[in-house]
Amino acid sequence: MKKTVTVNLSGTVYNIDEDAYALLDSYLKNLRVCFKREVDGEEIVRDMEARIAELLNEDLGDKQTVITIENVEKVIGRMGKPEDFSDEDADADGKRSWAGDKSTTMGKRLFRNPDDRILGGVLSGIAAYFGINATLLRLLLLVAVFFVHVLILIYIILWIVIPLARTATEKLQMRGQPINMENIGKTVTEGVDKVGEKVNAGKTKSFLHSLGNGIVEVVGFLIKFLLVLLAVCLTPALLFGLIVVFILLVVAVGVAGSVPVMFFQLWPEVDWNIITTVSPALTLAFSVCAVLALGIPVLALLQILMQAFGGWKPMSTGVRVFLILLWMVSLALGIALFLQYPLNFYV
Amino acid sequence: MNVDNVKSQMRKGMLEYCILLLLHRGASYASDIIQDLKEAKLIVVEGTLYPLLTRLKNDELLSYKWVESTQGPPRKYYCLTEKGEDFLSELQMAWDELSGTVNHLRTNLLISKNYEEDSNS
Repeated sequence: MKKTVTVNLSGTVYNIDEDAYALLDSYLKNLRVCFKREVDGEEIVRDMEARIAELLNEDLGDKQTVITIENVEKVIGRMGKPEDFSDEDADADGKRSWAGDKSTTMGKRLFRNPDDRILGGVLSGIAAYFGINATLLRLLLLVAVFFVHVLILIYIILWIVIPLARTATEKLQMRGQPINMENIGKTVTEGVDKVGEKVNAGKTKSFLHSLGNGIVEVVGFLIKFLLVLLAVCLTPALLFGLIVVFILLVVAVGVAGSVPVMFFQLWPEVDWNIITTVSPALTLAFSVCAVLALGIPVLALLQILMQAFGGWKPMSTGVRVFLILLWMVSLALGIALFLQYPLNFYV
Repeated sequence: MNVDNVKSQMRKGMLEYCILLLLHRGASYASDIIQDLKEAKLIVVEGTLYPLLTRLKNDELLSYKWVESTQGPPRKYYCLTEKGEDFLSELQMAWDELSGTVNHLRTNLLISKNYEEDSNS
């Protein structure tokens, strides 16, 4: 049994198996990439799409109603792979250039590996990038973390910053394999195998294995939870977030104004003159830092809740990174200011 | 230097000329052109034709019109423009010249070879 999807190929509706769809989709995407630099490249792909529809029609006949992966493979075989045209097309006035460009865009890119991950797939992605063993890298990091704690923070930042390899093309780029039909086909089928593995995985696992997986999952979830906690949101949420921050800021300034009075009443014997004369600016700066340091996690928490129940969009990486950096800076600055603060209780 | 490579280079050079030649007969649908080119063993994969057609169209050697079809969506029928006809006759001349040269070389070579063999014996 296979799931099918409905596609519109140059104006005609087809039912197509999901794996066949994935293959055809990546083929058309590849063609688009291939003719991107060409004048009217989009038109070329449209014409080819029409031809593909025609060939599929021919191939399907009257009895077959669903396009299978064999049909698609056959059609792709007839149409040819992008690199076939690049060889056959190169004409005298150097239109070959795009074929050359293609090889540079084919170069490796750093992605997180979704198929082989323990936490975020960061190490697996790095391992793929440098062509080394992921398990070895993981062990090395595990040992290194005991000596250099900052690595945890670096890992988290990498987790946030490096994009996940979602499409077959990105997975190939991650490994630095050339993007051609053969490899894409392989990757797509690998993905199918992966699904199969996941379905079977539940039965064959030993107790230890599932315990390990459970721990990893819990830890992964906790870390992710903390991560999301640190992070904040995008468009509609951003406006709301800004309002919240603003209100908190106003409240904080008010509180900051009244805190000295409170302290004065609590400890009348302390010499408060130092603070009142030295630190109005310091107090304000400290309040801003405190609001940001507390407000961003609160906002992040709100974001997760709303993302889970209110249908908010997940935040973009840019916003996340910015807010996390802002949070770290304000936390550090806040602590520094607090230590600088002339208010020490034993004065 | 491998023989298949050189052969495909030769075919490649001929391709534009042959497409224009085919269209000289009259307006054609891309799939019909493919059929003819495949029969003549000028192309291996069909995808080769489409970028070429678009390039020729952008160089104003070809134009196309949409024609309703009894089966399926409307089809693009390509035909030669005036510029395309001129282009074709130039290519025609170039081809005649080229084949003349090649034939000349072949016959000359054949004659000299025969002569050598004659003198050796």
